[in-house]
Amino acid sequence: MQKRKNDILQGTLALLVLKSLAARGALHGYAITAHIHHVSAELLRVEEGSLYPALHRMEQDGWVRASWGTTEKNRQARYYSVTADGKRQLAREEESWARLRDGVQRVLRFA
Amino acid sequence: MAWYHRFSNVLRPRRLSRDLDRELSFHVSELVDELVARGMTDRDAFAEARRRFGNFGMQKERTRDVDTMAWLDSLGADVRYALRAMRRSPGFAAVAVLSLALGIGANTAIFGLIDAVMLRALPVRNPGELLRVTAEDQWGVVSNPVWEQVRDRQDVFSGALAYGNARFNLNAAGEAKFATAAWVSGDYFSTLGVRAHAGRMLAKSDDYRGCAPVAVLSYAFWRAHYGGDPSVIGKTIALDGHPFLIAGVSASGFTGVDVGQSKDLFAPLCATAVNGGSGMLESPSSVWLFMIARPKPGVSLDQVRARLSTLAPAVFEATVPRNRGTESRSDYLRQTLRATPAANGISQLRSDYGRALVLLMVVVALVLLIACANVANLLLTRATVREREIAIRLAIGAGRGRLIRQLLTESLLLSALGAVAGALLAQWGSRLLVAMLSDTRSAVFLDLSPNVRLFAFTALVAVATGMMFGLVPAWRATRAQPHTAMKGNSRGITQGHSSFSLGRALIIFQVAVSLVLVVGAGLMLGTFRRLTTVDAGFQRQGVLLVDANIRNGEYKGPRRAEVFREMLARVRALPGVKAAVSNVTPVSGSAWTDDVVADGFTPKTREDGVAFFNQVGDGYFETMGTRLLAGRDFGPRDALTAPAVAIVNESMARRFFATTNAVGKTFRVLQGQKTSAPIEIVGIVEDAKYKSLRDPAPPTAYLAVSQDSTPSAYLTFDVRAGGSTAAIAPAVRNAMLAASPTVSLTFASFAEQVDESVARERLLATLSTFFGGLALLLATIGLYGVMSYSVARRRNEIGIRMALGAARTRVVRMVLGEVAMLVGIGVALGLAFALASSRLLAVFLFGLAPNDPVTIAGAITISVLVAAVAGYLPARRASRVDPMLALREE
Repeated sequence: MQKRKNDILQGTLALLVLKSLAARGALHGYAITAHIHHVSAELLRVEEGSLYPALHRMEQDGWVRASWGTTEKNRQARYYSVTADGKRQLAREEESWARLRDGVQRVLRFA
Repeated sequence: MAWYHRFSNVLRPRRLSRDLDRELSFHVSELVDELVARGMTDRDAFAEARRRFGNFGMQKERTRDVDTMAWLDSLGADVRYALRAMRRSPGFAAVAVLSLALGIGANTAIFGLIDAVMLRALPVRNPGELLRVTAEDQWGVVSNPVWEQVRDRQDVFSGALAYGNARFNLNAAGEAKFATAAWVSGDYFSTLGVRAHAGRMLAKSDDYRGCAPVAVLSYAFWRAHYGGDPSVIGKTIALDGHPFLIAGVSASGFTGVDVGQSKDLFAPLCATAVNGGSGMLESPSSVWLFMIARPKPGVSLDQVRARLSTLAPAVFEATVPRNRGTESRSDYLRQTLRATPAANGISQLRSDYGRALVLLMVVVALVLLIACANVANLLLTRATVREREIAIRLAIGAGRGRLIRQLLTESLLLSALGAVAGALLAQWGSRLLVAMLSDTRSAVFLDLSPNVRLFAFTALVAVATGMMFGLVPAWRATRAQPHTAMKGNSRGITQGHSSFSLGRALIIFQVAVSLVLVVGAGLMLGTFRRLTTVDAGFQRQGVLLVDANIRNGEYKGPRRAEVFREMLARVRALPGVKAAVSNVTPVSGSAWTDDVVADGFTPKTREDGVAFFNQVGDGYFETMGTRLLAGRDFGPRDALTAPAVAIVNESMARRFFATTNAVGKTFRVLQGQKTSAPIEIVGIVEDAKYKSLRDPAPPTAYLAVSQDSTPSAYLTFDVRAGGSTAAIAPAVRNAMLAASPTVSLTFASFAEQVDESVARERLLATLSTFFGGLALLLATIGLYGVMSYSVARRRNEIGIRMALGAARTRVVRMVLGEVAMLVGIGVALGLAFALASSRLLAVFLFGLAPNDPVTIAGAITISVLVAAVAGYLPARRASRVDPMLALREE
């Protein structure tokens, strides 16, 4: 499979998902992809193949909580919301992302 | 809690799968809606959504893995795969599980017995603390005076107890009904920490000289005998005709400290005066008590031993028997007291059977190895069948480790099924074994209930066997190169032998081990046959033994002899009956020895001067079938007042008079410091076994029962009738009761008594024959399987040979030649192993050497014959190959 340019950088998916949930409250998987796509001005697209294993792993780790709910179109969907643990994890991930971005930028500027 | 969710998700795969389906299809539906909103047709939108979403099944699997314990989930898949594989080849699974069940079952059964006899702790408080205290005596028993000295002088035990075994007749007259019992010291129950189920236990206050007879019943006896009626407490029970007050019932599960024997009731030591006479309490020569003690907290075993050895001189000084020669006196004083751990009680069964059980454990372990080799061979055979499947799976990227794990799961599943079936077999087998240990006089009672140790043993054996037979075949099976899968039906014209050499090695191993077991079985059978056919000096068939006890009749002195004479006369009056009386019967376990003094004889050692004694009436030798070689039998002239006479056996004559022609010579019996009046020898009889069939007949003197000035209340009647002993028993009972209505009687068959004296040898012979046969059968199945498979794989080769003109007989010879080579190597190895290990068997054997050539030749013949049959069937099939068909198949 050919890698697309806008693939989410390895390791940042949890950050994006947690941030989206923290900003928007409870969301189902589709809404998370739509939110990230929209907010990133269509630069980022979450692969479904990564999203659901990631969501379930975060659920097992206790960062998000899931419950079944009904959408406005009257469909059954699984809604995820961030937990207290998840908020702490979000803070950690934001910090490490900031460090990574700074580091990368410094390297690029130097060249 | 995450692990908990993952675990519970493994247990409910359907629900997990349904939820994932719902969640993921929701996503797809939303995607479709969005695409339709952008103007796509429904069909295009659906296709596009599916395309974007990717492989639905794979997404689901990947998400699912997060939600479950992946290893457990894949284990479940492996087990399902293994079960499917078993269903596909049920024959293979059945043979494998059956051979494992027999192997594991045999191991579990024997181990269960070892556990019950040797390892299980007593059901008392902190059994690990208990110590057994013994003096020099070979049975580890002491006299009551020694016990009382130890009890009163010791200061290292928080409690100490002594007990002696007893048997009480519950019936007043007629045929006796016995209860097994123990005479116990007052602190017996408190030292052990056994509580009362009802009433009270015996206490120190019950144990004093001249005490009132009281008894404590065991729970099991109380249930069986009184139906668990609590009102019996405070009533009396007649033991040997004497009333004992029932004080209480002991806690359920406690049946004394003897492993293998269950006590029905307990009475205080002091009460022996009531029905045993005072000798048991006062005489230092009467050694019959076992001592057990519990050290004070913080006192180590070494400290106990040190204290006991300093106490010993005073204990023995205070109890030295009177009427002893100076030599035996100093022997007595040299004794010391020892302490050994006694957490698992005291057991005659353990000393009789301990080594035999360990030997059987080795035997069944070997049988299990053969079963393992069999299953490994079957798996190897199957692996070659599955070569393609495995090669394809390797080719499409399956990891070797993962495949080995899957194949091992299959092996472990087989061994687990074998273990479950084996455990069921063992339940039944252990009970059968206990029945084989029991004899008519004493039922063996063993706690065989499953425990953690037994369970752990079976589980360990199952896993170990599964690994043993599964690992190598799995390793080899996954060695295939992926490209072999591409070569299609790549059967070579001739199959290389090398790929199959492991199977052949296993066959050689099986033949070797089974030969060892067959040799062992042959030796045990030979031992048993020799013991049962040995010239014992008596005719064991057709003799009824009747133990008569007239104590309840209160006859005194000479009156006892009259009553017994009257009984004998009435028994002899029965048609076709020969009868006599004796004090001891051969191989009964009882023995009577005395030091003999004879003119012209000086004993080289103390043992040298000891002879065995018996007291018999006229006609004894004729009834027992012992030949009178010279002189005469006892008769009416050997009255109480006549000069003392004896009949001796040849060994006695030779030992003390250096001639078998000793009629007319005299000897005396040493009685303490004095000697008896001279006893004249009036007859010589052939040697007859005394204590056991194994030991050569000892020098034996038979005294005349009619000359006993203090007749005993017990006597055994030896009755020979033409027909069966059981048929004559009622008539004999009636005749004896007519002479004395209060006599109590015990009936036994002499043949059974002799048989029971070789019970251990019979057990070993039976079981080693069974296991030897089983080993041979398993090895034969293995050989047959490997040869059949080899022939099937070589069809083309054989077809070509025959097409080129090979005769059928030549093909048969070719296959049989291979069998002969495998069996030959196996037999040679087995023989070497058997000869090397047979020394260990020597202690169990009688009348033949561990390397007995006839037995070994027989074992080899049987093994080779059986192997020939196993090899001939595939050979014949090979010779029937139609060359045209075999070649066309390619």
